[in-house]
Amino acid sequence: MVAIRGTREGLTIALGSSPVAEVLQELARHLQAQGAFFRGGMVALEVGEHPVSADDLVAFQKLIGEYDMTLRTVLAADKASQEAALALGLRLVSPPMPGAEVAPPPAAPSATSNASFEGVRGILVRRRVRSGQVVRHTGHVVVIGDVHAGAEIVAGGDIVVWGRLFGTAHAGAAGDENAIVCALELAPLQLRIGHVVARPAEGERQHPQYPEVAYVRDGLIVIDKWDRTPRGV
Amino acid sequence: MGARVITVTSGKGGVGKTTTTANLGVALARQGKRVIIVDTDIGLRNLDVVMGLQNRIVYDIVDLVEGRCRLRQALIRDRVMPELYLLPAAQSRDKTAISPTDMLRVCDQLRAECDIVLIDSPAGIERGFRNAVAPAEEFILVTTPDQTAVQDVDRVVGLLEAEGHRALRLVINRVRPALVKRNESLSPQAIVEMLAIELLGIVPEAEEIIISNGRGTPIAYNAQSAAGRAYHDMARRLLGEAVPIPPVEVRPRGPWAWLHRRS
Repeated sequence: MVAIRGTREGLTIALGSSPVAEVLQELARHLQAQGAFFRGGMVALEVGEHPVSADDLVAFQKLIGEYDMTLRTVLAADKASQEAALALGLRLVSPPMPGAEVAPPPAAPSATSNASFEGVRGILVRRRVRSGQVVRHTGHVVVIGDVHAGAEIVAGGDIVVWGRLFGTAHAGAAGDENAIVCALELAPLQLRIGHVVARPAEGERQHPQYPEVAYVRDGLIVIDKWDRTPRGV
Repeated sequence: MGARVITVTSGKGGVGKTTTTANLGVALARQGKRVIIVDTDIGLRNLDVVMGLQNRIVYDIVDLVEGRCRLRQALIRDRVMPELYLLPAAQSRDKTAISPTDMLRVCDQLRAECDIVLIDSPAGIERGFRNAVAPAEEFILVTTPDQTAVQDVDRVVGLLEAEGHRALRLVINRVRPALVKRNESLSPQAIVEMLAIELLGIVPEAEEIIISNGRGTPIAYNAQSAAGRAYHDMARRLLGEAVPIPPVEVRPRGPWAWLHRRS
């Protein structure tokens, strides 16, 4: 119903086809579960079938404000919504095709859904990430260096570690299960992709000394050797 | 200019910061350096006990900061080493009694009085740690072969690196060669690889350290013991000498024989 996705600008929250009040409720639940991840982000609101009023926008601002997010842009095709946005001094963008369907939620797995990542910005971290340090980004995260146990990488998109990954990695943190995590040595304490959580089996797992990639297949995180094009990529 | 200021810290408590500070102080003094060791663990002072100087405390670091005494009055000369002094912590106050700025000021005074200032940090990464870290440009991180201690040092290294510090050295304390050999304890090599900082030295687990701490006679007074020698080697490395670090091994004879006998 409500789709959140990372874009070059920050986050886009698409309201879809439901009445605004309902959407706000669901969004609140969403943020409660994952709000920490979105913290500090710039938000673009994509208005769906139902026009939004200035009051709706204020309620929305208040809700995301609780998570330190800022509403910057409103994408709306209808006049009422546009005027409400302008009244609040927000940046207004008209969709290229007025009245077009809102983009489908990125979490829906499909053959072409990887395309939603194309052009998504990432950050490059060129140092080791130590215990207690957190790298958080709405796009992709690339680390050149080791990620130590106790460190955390959270990305809206993919996570690439050119080094050893011992900490916690959460790819597709906005709910995208098409995201991947790959590392020269993949030995995380915990791995999350979208809503799927994986822990390495209790006891000793001998971590192979070759690069691996983790992705979601049939609702489970699987790990493949990086010596061919793995299915998840 | 003036003295080098080195802070001994770890994140986790009970890994041997105070023991390391006391023994490195003794060992550096034996190398002919004028050394002042500073206890910043206000409210939980211990360094005076390990040094056997607790009955000589009249003024402490809080008195100094609050202007109730002069520096010379607060410094306590070691019983054995004439060029080793202790600046004790206050026992009746807490960490907020002094600030990082106070520490900078105190250390500026200390720099003029000696060659090396060695600061013993309290556990944690809060105010007390901030006080201990503020005036130093070099750091000695103390860990044991425990995953928890290693991870806490990793955290502290991250904090120090974030402030631009690069002179970070590692002491691995309480190493038990027999456990390392049986693969039931992290090896020093594995720890160094995990933390990726320079190794200053390895101290074997030894009952004599516990005994000497209780008696107030740091083990480094006895350069013949394995642990005592480890501290003297570390002091020489700190002063720029290339002293090789012996590999951790269990041998029927040799430096670890005492351990073999016990097990």
